[in-house]
Amino acid sequence: MKIAVLVKQVPDSETRIQLSGPAQKLDDSKFTRVLNPYDAYAVEEAVRIKERAPGTEIVAITIGAADRVRETLKKDCLAVGCDRAIVVADPALADADEAGIAVVLAAALRQEACDLILAGKQAIDDDAAQVGVRVAEILGIAHVAVVTKLDLADGALTAQREIEGGVEIVQAKLPALITCQKGLNEPRLPSLPNIMKASAKPMRVVTCAELGVEPPARTYDVKRYAPPPSRAACKVIAGDDPAAAAAELARLLREEAKVI
Amino acid sequence: MPNIAVFIEQRDGQVKKVAWQMISEARRLVDQAGGEVWGVCLHAAPCDAAHQAGAHGAHRLFTAEHELFKLYDSAAWATAVAAFARAKRPDLLMVGATALGKDLAPKLAQKLGAACVSDSIAVKWDGNAWEVRRPIFAGKCYVDVVPRTSPAVVGVRPNAFALSEGRGGAAAAESFDPGVASLTPLARVTEVQAAAGRKVELTEAETIVSGGRGIKGPEHYHLIEELAAVLGAAAGASRAVVDAGWVPHSHQVGQTGKTVSPNLYIACGISGAIQHLAGMSSSKCIVAINKDPNAPIFKVADYGITGDLFAILPLLQREVEKLKS
Ligand SMILES: Cc1cc2nc3c(=O)[nH]c(=O)nc-3n(C[C@H](O)[C@H](O)[C@H](O)COP(=O)(O)OP(=O)(O)OC[C@H]3O[C@@H](n4cnc5c(N)ncnc54)[C@H](O)[C@@H]3O)c2cc1C
Ligand SMILES: Nc1ncnc2c1ncn2[C@@H]1O[C@H](COP(=O)(O)O)[C@@H](O)[C@H]1O
Repeated sequence: MKIAVLVKQVPDSETRIQLSGPAQKLDDSKFTRVLNPYDAYAVEEAVRIKERAPGTEIVAITIGAADRVRETLKKDCLAVGCDRAIVVADPALADADEAGIAVVLAAALRQEACDLILAGKQAIDDDAAQVGVRVAEILGIAHVAVVTKLDLADGALTAQREIEGGVEIVQAKLPALITCQKGLNEPRLPSLPNIMKASAKPMRVVTCAELGVEPPARTYDVKRYAPPPSRAACKVIAGDDPAAAAAELARLLREEAKVI
Repeated sequence: MPNIAVFIEQRDGQVKKVAWQMISEARRLVDQAGGEVWGVCLHAAPCDAAHQAGAHGAHRLFTAEHELFKLYDSAAWATAVAAFARAKRPDLLMVGATALGKDLAPKLAQKLGAACVSDSIAVKWDGNAWEVRRPIFAGKCYVDVVPRTSPAVVGVRPNAFALSEGRGGAAAAESFDPGVASLTPLARVTEVQAAAGRKVELTEAETIVSGGRGIKGPEHYHLIEELAAVLGAAAGASRAVVDAGWVPHSHQVGQTGKTVSPNLYIACGISGAIQHLAGMSSSKCIVAINKDPNAPIFKVADYGITGDLFAILPLLQREVEKLKS
C-alpha cells in the first residue's frame, strides 16, 4: 500500500493579521508557520494505517518555498512516520490559487500512483476547503470529504463524514482521496531522536517543469484585503444582582437588538 | 446577460434555508445587473420548489429527477449541475456552504474549469464584474475577489444574505437532462445516521447558545440546552468542552469546529480565544456571560453580563419565557 499526504504550511492559528499602507497589503513576513492542523490528522492517519499494515509507504507532498517548508516536513511529517517528502518549489507557483495548486499536486501524484491520498479538510489560512476535492476530480478518483472515521479493507474504504445533524457513511474503492476533520485521530508529537533520524529521510525538491506541468493561470484575482468591520463597544451589565441583570439583558435583546 | 443560478439543496423534500437566502440576494443583484435568477434542483421524487423559489425572487426553476439524487453522491450531483451550467451558461453559480455544498462546489468548479470562491458573505456587481467578499484566516481578515471565469462558483455562508419574500408567482419550471445515465458512482453513501437529540442545526441556526469550560462539567450542559430550547436555538460549545468529552465534536464552534453566523450568539463561560472567535465573530449580535470582566469575549460582544452563569442562565431562561408568552 502506498499513501500520499498533502500537507501545507500555514500561519499559526494565534497569528494576528495586519494590513498595512493605503493598499492594505497583507504583511506575512512575521508569520510563525506550522503544519496546517487538519493536515496533522492526515499524517497521523497515514502513520496509523502503516502501523497496522507494515510495508506501507508514506510520501508527504507539499507545494511551497523549499527553505521555508523543510523544517515542517522534517519535524511534523518525516519524524512521525512519513518515509519521504516531495517539495514542489517553483517561483511560478507563488501566485497560484486553489485550482492551480490542485493541478500541480495532481501532476506530482500521477508520478507516485498511490492507493490512498490524505489531505486536510481545509487550510486555515485561505480557508478554501477546495484543494483535496479538486485533486480527486482531476485524478478521476473517488473522494470523501470531512472525514471523522476511516476503515480500510480489501481495496476499499468506509468513511464516516460529518454532515448537518449527523454523519454519512460512505464507501469507495481505492484509489481514493480523503479530507481529514478533527475527531479522526489525535496526532502524536515527534520525539527528539526521531527528529534527528528524520534528517536522513529523502526529501526531493522538484519544479513544475520536472513534473511536466505548466504553472496554471489564476481563476480569480484578489482585488483587496480588508479588516473585518469593528464592533461597537460592549454594553456591560453588572451581574451582582443576577435577576436584574437577566431581566435587563432580555429587555435589551428584545427592544434594542430585536433578536428575540 | 449576467444570469445567476442558485443551487437549491434539499434533503427529504426539505429545502435548506440558505437556498432561499441566495435566491433573495441573487434577485437583488440581477435587478441591478439585468439578468435572471434560476433555481437548480436535483431530486429523486418530484419536488415542489417552484412556488417558494418564485416567492423569493427566482424567475425560473430547472429540475432534474433521478434515483442517484436520493442520497448525496458527489460525482452524480456535480455532473448534473455541470451539465446544467454548460447548457444554460449562468454567469454565477451560487451553492450554499453547507456540508453538501462545500463538497459539491469545488468538484463542480473543477469540472467546469471555473473559479470557486468558498464561504462568501457578500457579492457585488460593479457594472461589469462581480466582486465577491469572503473571510480568510478564520475571519481575521476579509478578501474581495473578482472571478476570471464564467461561470464562477460562489459558495455562500448560511445566514449571510437576508431573506426576501412575497416576490410574486411561481418560478417557471422546466426539467433538464442531468447527464448521469451512464455514470458509475465512485463512492456511495450507504447510510445516514442522525445524531441523537439534535433539534436545530448549528450552521443554520438563527440563534445559538454556547457553553464553555465555565459550565464546569457535562452535568451542567443542560443549562445551555434549556436556554437554547426556549429561544428555538441550537446549542454549541467551545473546544475546551468538546475536548473534555462533555459534548460531541459536532457541537464545536470555532476554527476547528463549525463556522456560524446567527443573528444572536450567546457565549456562556467562554473566554473568547481567537480560535473560538474564528467560528462566530460574524454573528450579528453577540452576548457574553462570563464572570471575568477582562475575558476577551467582551471585546467582540455587543452585550454582556459579568457574573456567574449558574445564577444567571436559569433567570435569563425565565425572562425569555415571559417575553415569548
Ligand atoms: C489549532 C487550534 C484550534 C482550536 N480550535 C478551536 C475551536 O474550533 N473552537 C474553540 O472554542 N477553541 C479552539 N481552540 C482552543 C482555544 O484556544 C481555547 O483553548 C478554547 O476556546 C477555550 O475554551 P473556553 O473558552 O471554554 O475555556 P476557557 O478559556 O478556560 O474559558 C472559560 C471561561 O469561563 C469563565 N467562567 C468560569 N466559571 C464561570 C462561571 N461560573 N460563570 C461565568 N463564567 C465563568 C472564565 O472566566 C473563562 O473566561 C483551538 C486551539 C488551537 C491551538
Ligand atoms: N500548497 C499546498 N501543498 C500541499 N497540499 C496543499 C497545499 N494547499 C492545500 N493543500 C492540501 O489541501 C487541503 C485543503 O486546502 P485548501 O483548499 O487551501 O483549504 C490542505 O489541508 C492540504 O491537505
